[in-house]
Amino acid sequence: MTTPRSKTGSSEFDQLFSSRIAEGGRVKTGIVELDEMLRGGFMPGDAVMLAGSAGTGKTTLALQFLVNGVKHGEPGIYVTFEELPDQIYRDAKNFGWDLHKMEEEDKFRVICTSPSLVLESGDGSLLDDVLRDIQPRRLVIDSLSHLEMFVKRDDMRMEAYRIVRYLKTHGVSSILLWESPQISGASFSVTDVGLSFLVDCIVALKPVEIESSLRKALVILKMRGSDHDKRFREYEITSTGIKIESAFSNYEGIISGSPRKVASEKFMELFRGASEKHK
Amino acid sequence: MFRGEQAKMSGGEILSTLLASEVRGDLLILFHKNPGLIDTVDGIARRIGRTTITVISDLRELLLLGILRQKRIGTSEVVFLDRARDREILELVANHLKTVQIGGAK
Repeated sequence: MTTPRSKTGSSEFDQLFSSRIAEGGRVKTGIVELDEMLRGGFMPGDAVMLAGSAGTGKTTLALQFLVNGVKHGEPGIYVTFEELPDQIYRDAKNFGWDLHKMEEEDKFRVICTSPSLVLESGDGSLLDDVLRDIQPRRLVIDSLSHLEMFVKRDDMRMEAYRIVRYLKTHGVSSILLWESPQISGASFSVTDVGLSFLVDCIVALKPVEIESSLRKALVILKMRGSDHDKRFREYEITSTGIKIESAFSNYEGIISGSPRKVASEKFMELFRGASEKHK
Repeated sequence: MFRGEQAKMSGGEILSTLLASEVRGDLLILFHKNPGLIDTVDGIARRIGRTTITVISDLRELLLLGILRQKRIGTSEVVFLDRARDREILELVANHLKTVQIGGAK
């Protein structure tokens, strides 16, 4: 059987495929500075791990990704294993995101379920139902850490792999939240169950102590197939969501959580101090 | 009783069915606050702080009314809110309450 060719010589399959790529471009998070760090956004269909300890804003960033997707015509689904998901609606409203309204318009769903049900496979699986409902382009799972409680340690990688592959097969760009107690040290180990290699991109959120106050740092640890900003950028959780600010340019050791000023900056401070005394 | 028969119930009858027990009220609040909830009977019971045995008959009533639906996922039976049917029922109850209010004003 021959593949039909268009006048330009490429097959219709090639055209269809290339048009999908062209349509996709990058999947913008809608957070301008983060999109710049990602050189335009996530790659289409990528699985992104958003890792961080409690209170770092993982849920906020993930919701912002979905809400901005809805604004650009990409329906989104937030799958949560938390016990009280009604708080998600309330918290989202505080950022100005009316999830109920988006649900009424069939552009958004908050799915609250047990991790064990997501792990059920075969025809008519929970994910089948969820995807059939509103044909999402973006999906968030909150969180893989909850899933870990329902599977044996050795099986976790296989189950996570199955979920990632399922979403990729359906062309859904996903963010998988991971509650990491700490991301530090030279190994940059995000999870202790070896999930980092399953995902295409890892964004880490980290609290850092600078001059006796708690600040927050965001870094892209990995991004398959694309260049990305390697710097630690400070961010804040504002009334409208995550706002990314400048890089921690005068500090080193951010990953340790207790950064120190770089030597040149210390020298400059000494120099400035000495100049002040002479005045 | 089948769902079709339940659909013929009046707004007043539906309201009485919905408010027949405290557990039923807790279930309705749970599903209205979390319309995307999909869980097993055990999971649902746990979410409202009760045991499976105490919620099962009330869940069955809400299933018969059509507000909730049941489905098999893998080896588990799950229950979830039928958003469309829920809207219909809310409308019926709201219309009934309007009639009651008008009647009361006379």
